[in-house]
Order: sequence, then structure tokens, then C-alpha cells
Amino acid sequence: MSNHIRPNGPKPSRLTPERIGIYVFLIAAALFFLLPLFVMLATSLKTMDEVRLGQIFELPRQFDIGAWSTAWSGACQGIECVGVRSGFWNSVKITVPAVTLSVFLGALNGYALSFWRSSSSRILFALLMAGGLIPYQIFLYPLVRIMANLELYNSLAGIVLVHVIFGLPLVTLLFRNYFVNIPEELCRAARVDGAGFWRIFFEIMLPLSTPMIVVASLFQFTGIWNDFLLGLVFAGRDNLPMTVQLNNIVNTTMGERAYNVNMAATILTALVPLAIYFFSGRWFVRGIAAGAVKG
Amino acid sequence: MSRSYKRSFAVTTALLPTWIAVIVIYVGTMLWSIRLSFTDSTLFPSSNYVGLSQYAKLFATPKWWAALQNVAIFGVLYVLGCLVVGFLLAAALDRKIRFESVFRTIFLYPYAMSFVVTGLIWQWMMNPTFGIQASVRAFGWQDFSFDWVVNPNLAIYAVVIAGIWQGAGLVMVIALAGMRGIETEQWRAAQIDGVPACRIYLSIILPQLGPALAAAGMLLALGVIKTYDLIVAMTNGGPGYATEVPAKFIMDSLFQRQNLGLATAGATVLVLTVIAVVAPFRYAVHMRARRREGA
Amino acid sequence: MKNAMKLLLAGAALAALLAPANADDKPKAEVMTSWTSGGEAAALNIIRSEFEKRGGEWEDSSIAGFGAADAAFQNRIVAGDPPTAKQVVIGLDPAEFIKQGLMNPIDDVAAAGKWADVLPKTIYDFISHDGKVFLSPTGAHGESWMFYSKEAFEKAGIASEPKSWDEFFAAMDKLKAAGILPIAWGGQAWQETKVFNMILLSQAGIDGFLKIYVDKDTSPASMEAIKKTLTILGRMRAYVDEGAPGRNWNDATAMVITAKAGVQFMGDWAKGEFTVAGKVPGKDYGCMILPESEGMVFIADSFDYPKTGDASQDKAQKLLAEVVMDPEVQVAFSIKKGSIPMRTDVDKSQLDACSQKGLELMSAGKIVPDQAIILTPQQAGALADYVDAFWSNPSANVDEEVAKFPSIFQ
Repeated sequence: MSNHIRPNGPKPSRLTPERIGIYVFLIAAALFFLLPLFVMLATSLKTMDEVRLGQIFELPRQFDIGAWSTAWSGACQGIECVGVRSGFWNSVKITVPAVTLSVFLGALNGYALSFWRSSSSRILFALLMAGGLIPYQIFLYPLVRIMANLELYNSLAGIVLVHVIFGLPLVTLLFRNYFVNIPEELCRAARVDGAGFWRIFFEIMLPLSTPMIVVASLFQFTGIWNDFLLGLVFAGRDNLPMTVQLNNIVNTTMGERAYNVNMAATILTALVPLAIYFFSGRWFVRGIAAGAVKG
Repeated sequence: MSRSYKRSFAVTTALLPTWIAVIVIYVGTMLWSIRLSFTDSTLFPSSNYVGLSQYAKLFATPKWWAALQNVAIFGVLYVLGCLVVGFLLAAALDRKIRFESVFRTIFLYPYAMSFVVTGLIWQWMMNPTFGIQASVRAFGWQDFSFDWVVNPNLAIYAVVIAGIWQGAGLVMVIALAGMRGIETEQWRAAQIDGVPACRIYLSIILPQLGPALAAAGMLLALGVIKTYDLIVAMTNGGPGYATEVPAKFIMDSLFQRQNLGLATAGATVLVLTVIAVVAPFRYAVHMRARRREGA
Repeated sequence: MKNAMKLLLAGAALAALLAPANADDKPKAEVMTSWTSGGEAAALNIIRSEFEKRGGEWEDSSIAGFGAADAAFQNRIVAGDPPTAKQVVIGLDPAEFIKQGLMNPIDDVAAAGKWADVLPKTIYDFISHDGKVFLSPTGAHGESWMFYSKEAFEKAGIASEPKSWDEFFAAMDKLKAAGILPIAWGGQAWQETKVFNMILLSQAGIDGFLKIYVDKDTSPASMEAIKKTLTILGRMRAYVDEGAPGRNWNDATAMVITAKAGVQFMGDWAKGEFTVAGKVPGKDYGCMILPESEGMVFIADSFDYPKTGDASQDKAQKLLAEVVMDPEVQVAFSIKKGSIPMRTDVDKSQLDACSQKGLELMSAGKIVPDQAIILTPQQAGALADYVDAFWSNPSANVDEEVAKFPSIFQ
């Protein structure tokens, strides 16, 4: 498995028509991908009077950062007007353990399912994949009862557990596909040496799967950070994630809407996953290049 | 005690949490849903069995049919669209481009955004009175028309565009990683023969990327049937039923319409459909793998 | 399931009995609403500060959006951990919870406050179930309003408010001719359904409206009213812009505020948007009940009180019910929320011109309930689907659609 990240293609020579074409395509595509971000930023920097004019592609006439400070620390969600700030740490407290735990379990499952196959493990995998396809809304009702019986309802542990459960199908799939591509001899040799199930996992497989751990963590982080419904239902009012506060600011049926604040709050909420992608983008590509996602 | 017994004990322990989650949550909930779909439950579960009448009601609802049709159209176009756009972007980026990492970040960042945000922004941009259409007309092209999101016949395609915007970057990363893993000798040989670059990508690279693209497609498909947030934020199922999807239908029935019976009937139909689509496919893969092992 | 729930409640009640009553404890209430926007929160704050002044302790659990708040509430009930009070639209939405025995009656508060005398009879009936009062109403919203831009009307040369639908459409033509968008339309199912109901009231009258929705009457007279309603609704399609589908009501209001559009049909909460933009009713914009209407469609908010099995919360529930119905609170709340007080005996002088009109109709009993009050949530949803499908399909045949109407009640 080669880890080189060098482009294929011929060496760039002079500007041929072909290369100009490629650049035109890339720049056009980049504009298409950036346009929504531009609209969000521009709107967040406008005053509401300007927003009401409805010229979404125009730059703000004068930059007004009022909406940003409101979104961070002043926007009302109900009676308390504290912006999305208060949910930030809750989101961190939910996301970090949930990502860690689900990636660990996923790696364990993937390892057990690829190297210690049995008919029961095949059934487990099939059930897990089937479960992964069901809209999770349908799980809410019984899950609430289960959590209440376990006295985990409305608690940090409860919401973390729920995220881990719903993350299992995807993470298990990722790790299983990763381990399937690792030569079985590696495991067999270790077994001959007398290494047990857990030793092989911790000493050989886990270190081997660093690239996959990066990829799976990124997937899970994005998904859990952006979740709204599960956080709303299971977290309890002391642990509500940032997205619930975002919803309270953005989504109102009969009240007035401050779009500039909405956009600023939206960007603030998306900032953490965006930053993580930005700084770990290279690792992400490397992880996938190392065979993290293969058929 | 034999070593193999110890080992199988370890495997069982490792998979135990997942087994519990699968049996209690996934299987348990599915059975619970199926049972309720035969009752007249409204807000709370009831044990008054009414046979198949919830299913009869479900399939007599034009909105449900529209939802099934829409999710099929959306699913196929979204997955294919992401694959095509993602592959094209990757192919362009693979040609020794300046600022490759900048482009890569631009194409990938939407994946870090939640669907709620994606939906809201695209709803604005596609709104004919102040979005892209109005802006192009303001530049002087009076006949320009881009009213997909408000046109019942085209709205679902507008949702597809927003979906592709969000998901294409993922495919791009996976495809790019795959391209970097292809040996350079093949390139040289093809170049010496004077084959044009686009032919090389189509006939040499694309087939080799098959498994990676299939994995990417699978990741995207996992999300399709659960599509809910994007629709709610962008069109709320409208205009009319033009973008209604099953997950939204179920969610609405569950909470806003206090109709547990109908919601669980919908969920059951959805699960059965998924199994009917996925099972033959998985079976074929399984059989092929077996044959290969046998050979 | 039902038995398990009963057992749970019985256990909770027992626990409450055994718990030592501590007289010094402040009654503590966790209040769940979907009021999160500026005006709504300000209104809620009126109730809160009075509640706290009378010795209560308030914990706010507001969640935006009816759907999200309902989902959270239902799940809390299922988990056996309900909040102390929940904001809810009066009518059949809370009825199922009451029927299941999950709610505390507030009879003694209602009796002590003589609610039966100070509330319109329609309202008093809706908050009672089996002779017991369960809900404490906060305020009503009138939903038969047509807001119009005076500036746009002047430009188009419309001298007076249209008295009939013919006059209305003539006025719309004038607006169109003047290059102004006639109707600022919010193309979401719930908004369209409200317009449908407003028109239906103007065509069927109060008795006819109630016959259709309460008695589920399908006589030729009722069907004729549906037909007229759909015809008028269908005619409106020619006066809206192509950006209408999916438009939020407040974006539509903004179009009237800036005189880009002539009129908007909406509930009285739209006044809040005008006020925020510095517009004055009667001067910058007008509010009128729909042409040919003898009354007004209304929707009313209230609090209901889940059984929590906690004595301190029981006390808090009674205190909150009392506060909500306090005459001064009712007026102050309504001013902030843009609604109409529920009590008929309050000081009207502080209300704006539109609210006064609404309160007059209310006191005179010339009101009909919104579908959310008289239909089950499933039926109300089916009605929204019905209207939305009709509106979005310009080639829909009115006669065929009329024939489909009774299927809503199945």
C-alpha cells in the first residue's frame, strides 16, 4: 500500500489549451462550491434593513458585525438570550466521548468480523447494516423508554450512548472494509506466536489502522456535531448541544426572523467541523489513500 | 481450558456490546414497530389490533406514493451525481494543479456542513425572486429562467443539486486517493502510446477505481433513505408533494399528527423495501466472494 | 403499555404523598414552550416575572418550532419525566393527553377565578374536558386578517377596503396594472390552509363553517361552500409571484412593509413584523377582516399541566394557572405577542386598532375555531395536504377536488 500523495498526470509543461480547460473547470467548480458560503457571510454582515431588500449576492454596503455578537452571546432562545455560546461546551462534551467510543467499538467490530469470522458474526453484520438503513426517527419512542428504564434519559451518558448506537453501522462498515484488505497472514502469524484476540487487536491491528481511525473520527465528528434531533430528545436541558440552540434561533413559526443573526449563528455552529476538515484535510486524504475506503 | 475456547470467549466479549445494541435497539424496535403497525395507535401505543387497515390507509394516501417516488428519484440522481462530479473533480485535481490543497478544501468543506444549513442556503439561492434567477436577469439576460425549486415538476432536482453540492467532495477525496494509488508505469505506457489524457482516465483509471467508487456510493446511499433534514430545510416537502420523502412522512405522522399506527406502517414498508433492494445485491456479492474462495 | 403507564403514575403519586411537604419550598416550574423569537419571548417573560413575583421559581425549556417542541414533549411524557407546564394550542391536540389521564385538572383555580364568567363560552368549553378545566388560556390570535400596504393601495388608486370578493379581485387587478405584486403569498401548507379557512368562513358563515368541521357535514350546502372557497382560492393563483412556494410568512410580510406587494392574508402575529419595521397600523398599513366575513377564525394558546407526582410542582402549576389568567398579565402578554386577551373584562384602551377589532368580534362570539382546535392532528394534517395539493396544481379541477374533501375526516 503506497502512501505517496503525488499526482499522476504528466509534468506541467506550458499552458496548453487542455490545461487552460482544466483550470477553467476547476475555477468554475470552486465558484459553485463557494457561492453558498459567500451568501452566508455576506448576509451575516448586513443589517436587517438591507437583508429585506433581498439582494443576496450583493456585498454588504457597510460591514456590520452586530449580528455576529448577537448570535454568539445575545440571541434569544426563549427567555434566555445568551446566543449559541452556551451550547458550545455541551456539544464538545457530547461529541468527544461519543466519537472516541464509537470509533473504538467500530474498530473492534471490524477486527472481530474480518479475522474471526463465524456464521453468527455474519448475521450480526447483516442486522447492523439493515439497521443502518432505517430512518432513526422510528427508534425514538422505544429508545426513550429504554433510556428512561436505565435511568439514562436526559443525561450526558444517555446522549453519548445513543450516538454510539446509531454510529455503529457506519463505523463498523468502514473498519470491516479496511481490515478485509489487510493480509490474513499477519493475523495468522501472530496467532501462531501465541498472541490472543485482544493482544493482536491492541498491538497489531489498532496501530495499523491509524489512517482509518482518522477517517472514521472525521465522519463521526461531523455527524454527531451536526445532529439536532437526538440531542433535543435525549440530552436533557442541561446538556443541549449547540444545534438545538441554533434551531431555537433560526426556526420559529410565528416570530420574526433575523436572517443576519441566523446566518452568523449557522456559521458559528459549523465552525468546529469546518476547522477540523480544514486542518486535517491532508490526513483525511492520506487515510483514504491508505485504503480506508475501498470496496 | 483450550486456547480456542478462550479465543471464542474473547470474540464473543468483544462483540457483546454490539450484539446487545443490535438485538435490543435495532431488532427490538423493528419488531415493536411492526406490531404497532397492526394497531390503531394514535398518540400512545394501543393494543387494539386493526389488521392491515393502516397499510390500506397508507397506500391510499397520494402523499406516501409521492414520497416513495421522490426518494427513488433523489437517491439515484444524488448518488450518481456525486459520483460523476466527484470523479471529474478528482481527475482534474490529479493533473498537477497549482493550489491543489486549496481547491481540495473548497470542494470538501460542504461535507462538514449540516443538511439544515445546506437546505436553507440553497432555498435562498434558488428562489426565483431574489436568488440566481433574479441576479442573472439583473445583469440583463431577461429570459433567463431557473425556477426549479418552486416548480412542482422540477423541485426534486433542485434538491438533488443541493445534495450533490454537499456530497461530491467526499467522492472527490476517495477518487483522488484511489488515483494516487495507481502505479505510474501504466501511465507512462499509455502516454508513450499517445493516448489522450481523458481516454486514459476513462478506460484505465475509472475501472481501477471501481471498488473505491462503489464504497463511496454505498456511504452516500446509507444516507439517502434517511433524507429528512435537507428536505425540511429546503422545501419542507413542497411545492405540494413535489419533494415529500418517506422519512419526513413518518416523522410528521409520528409527532405532529399523533398517528403512531400510520407512522410504524410507513416505517415497516420502508424497511421491507430496503431489504428487498439490498438483499439480492448482498447475496450476489456474497456468492461471488464464495466462488472466488472456492476457485 | 397503558397499564404500565398507570402503574407508573400511581407510583409517582404515592411517592408524592409520602414525601414530606416543606412549606418553605418555592414552587418550581419547568415550562416548555415553542416561543423563542423576540416578541414571543418578551411575552413569555411577562408571565415569568409575575410568576416569580408571586414566589415561584421558573425554569425555561423553550424549543423553537411546533414539531420539535411536540416531539420533545411527547418523549418526556413517554420517559415519565414531563415538564411542569407545556404551552399548547387549545383543542384536540392536548385532548389525547388528557384522555390518557396524564394531565392535572386545574378546577379549583378556575372556580376561584370565576373563569366561566370571564371567558367567552366557546373558549371555556374548549379548555374543559368532562366538566373539568385542564387548560389555562393565555391569549387568542385572530386569523382572518388581510393586511395591506396603504402606500401600494394609494399608488394603484384603490380608494377603500374591498367589501366583496368581486371588489377584492378588481383591486388586485388595479395593483397589477400599477406594477405592484397584488398578493404576498407564503407558499407553505400551513399558511395556505389558513387562507382556505378564512375564505371558507366568508362563504359558509359561522354556522356553516362549524357544520363542516365539527359535524363533518357533507350536505350539498356545505359542499357548495367548499366549491366557492376553492374557486376564490384558485383565482388568487394569478396574483402571486413565482417566488411564493416555500416562502415564510414574515418574508411575505416584508413585501407588504416595503410596498412591493399589496396585501397579505395572515394571523395577527404579522403585526409584530410591521412594528419592528417601525410601521403604524391605520397609518402605514391597514388590517381588515376578509371581505364578506361575518366573523373571524381564531386560534388560542394555553398551558396544560402534566402530572409530575411532585407536590412542589403541583403547587407551581396552580400558581402558574392563576398568573396566566390575571387580567393585567393577559393584557401585557397580548401586547407583546400581538394577540388578543382571552378575558372579556380587560382594559382595552392599551390595545392597537387591529386588536380592538378582534376583541370586539371575540366578545360578540363571532368567532370560529382554527382547524387545529376542532380537528384531530391527523385530520388537520390531511386538510393541510389537501389544500396544499390543490394550490400547487393550477390545473386542478374544482369539482373533482370538492368531491375529495370529505376524505380528510377519515
